[in-house]
Amino acid sequence: MKSLNNMVSALVLGGLVAMSSSVMAQDDAAAPAAPEPDLRAEAAENLNELLEFVKQGQVTEASENRQREQRFAAAKANQAQMLKDAEAERAREERRSAELEDTFEANELLIADKQEQLRERLGALTELFGHLTAASGDLKSNLEVSLVSAQYPDRGLFLEELIDKMSTSDRLPNIEEIERVWYEMLREITETGKVVSFNTEVATASGERAPRDVVRIGAFNVIDTEGNYLAYDNDHLAVLPRQPSGNYTSWAAELANASSGMHRFGIDPTGPTGGSFLAAIIDSPNLEERWHQGGYVGYAITAVGAFAFLLAIFRVLVLTGVSAKVSKQLKSDKANDNNPLGRVLKVHEDNPSMDLETLELKMSEAVMRETPKLESGLTLLKIIAAVAPLMGLLGTVTGMIITFQAITIFGAGDPKAMAGGISGALITTVLGLLVAIPTVLLHTLVNGRAQRIIHVLTEQATGIVAAHSEASSK
Amino acid sequence: MGGFLETILAFMDKGGNVLWLIAILVFVMWTLIFERLWFFTFVWRKEVFETINAWESRSERKSWNAKQIRSQLLSVSREDIHANLNVITTLVALCPLLGLLGTVTGMIEVFNVMAVTGGGDAKSMAGGVERATIPTMAGMVAALSGLFANTYIQRIADREQELLEDQLTSDH
Repeated sequence: MKSLNNMVSALVLGGLVAMSSSVMAQDDAAAPAAPEPDLRAEAAENLNELLEFVKQGQVTEASENRQREQRFAAAKANQAQMLKDAEAERAREERRSAELEDTFEANELLIADKQEQLRERLGALTELFGHLTAASGDLKSNLEVSLVSAQYPDRGLFLEELIDKMSTSDRLPNIEEIERVWYEMLREITETGKVVSFNTEVATASGERAPRDVVRIGAFNVIDTEGNYLAYDNDHLAVLPRQPSGNYTSWAAELANASSGMHRFGIDPTGPTGGSFLAAIIDSPNLEERWHQGGYVGYAITAVGAFAFLLAIFRVLVLTGVSAKVSKQLKSDKANDNNPLGRVLKVHEDNPSMDLETLELKMSEAVMRETPKLESGLTLLKIIAAVAPLMGLLGTVTGMIITFQAITIFGAGDPKAMAGGISGALITTVLGLLVAIPTVLLHTLVNGRAQRIIHVLTEQATGIVAAHSEASSK
Repeated sequence: MGGFLETILAFMDKGGNVLWLIAILVFVMWTLIFERLWFFTFVWRKEVFETINAWESRSERKSWNAKQIRSQLLSVSREDIHANLNVITTLVALCPLLGLLGTVTGMIEVFNVMAVTGGGDAKSMAGGVERATIPTMAGMVAALSGLFANTYIQRIADREQELLEDQLTSDH
């Protein structure tokens, strides 16, 4: 048969060679047959030689067949014996099969029996193990996020093994393991009520890990001795990159370095469930950030306010000095030209013989010269007090416009972004009021001082002159 | 009494820090108002008496000198009468402004909380707004109380000034 196959291949290939030699390379590669036919094909130079090959093949085939027939004949005698053996073998195996089937059935019965027995004996325990698995699972997920695990890191591993064990059917937890679950639960409960200090590995803001003394407040917060709040995830503690503003960190440092007694501390009641309050405090902007939220309008208001404050302080100082000099002048007899009242009185002193009408005119002229100097800056303060809240309003309105433009573009799906925008927009109103309120007060103060001096000049200067002339005429 | 103080403290706590500012402002304002009332009731009579005496003891009351001295006497007394009145007016005007400040800061707080929590809780937001409006109310009440007292004192001051002017009679 093999040679027949070879022969057919040779035939086909020979034909192909005759057709085109260039295709042959491809066919060589594609031909599934062994290299032998190829050799023959190469050897066959023309159809006649091929014919010769075929003829020879037929001759060898015939001789092979004859040999095979002889072999079959020789083996024929053996066949009967072999058949008998095979039948005996079959009978034996059938008997064995029946036996095994019996055993199998018996075992099935036994298994059912045993299972029934197991069920009976487990009884209430099945339910118990169900609860135990559930409780262990709950405990495990609780312990994974619990800050207490920072101090006792190996608790999760034990629970994992226990759950694995209970989920297989051929092993049962022993009493020590069950008791350990109970112990871990109790330990979690008692540790939640403790403030303890321990040493553990902490990742700093730069990513380095180093052992550090930390204080754990129940399952609520963990702080280090510098007062930094730490976060616990992926089985290790890390310093929060941004700490809560205000007094929280200083209180934390105080607590961490204390040995006994009562201490004030900002505790996060949501600590065991992720610490969202602490996150909210950390996320809310501090005073400086709030000030920056005001934007350019906020800066402008601050600048105007600072200017108004400095101006008012300057005016108060100047007017206090002038006022002291005027008081001194009121008590002295001689006109001193270092103060407004003195300069007004000097008009009379320089021209003692002037007639009364001219004197009055001259003196009111002198008062007119003094008044603007005393009142300088007052109008500006008043304008600033009026303009600062308006600027604040401007900032708020522009901030609102920006917020609502953002809503037009992105939709109102995110109330967080909207609320943040409005909160930022309101800052300028606060800044405006914070500038306006002190400025109004300062304006009143400065105005009061200025008006007092002006009253002295306008209403009392002539009286003083009259009193002097009366005194000297006596 | 302790219960009353507690109520006040609870109210202050609810309204925020600005309420303390308003409280200080109101305290200063009413101190000044009572000072004025005290002045008009006890000090002013003596001053009027002295001023009239100084005027009546003059030998003549119709020359240019006498007129100037009369206006000087009136000016000095006017200063005494009107002392602090401007400050009281300013404080009355500041009360609503401070109330507004408290409300705006409270609102910022409300929106800040909303920005963190997402604002899903209308109840807490309404609670925050309610707390934020307390300073405005307090400022208004403070301003109203001061406004009446201020008007009353201004009227007394004007009346006393006129009375004094009438009493310093010139000879013709």
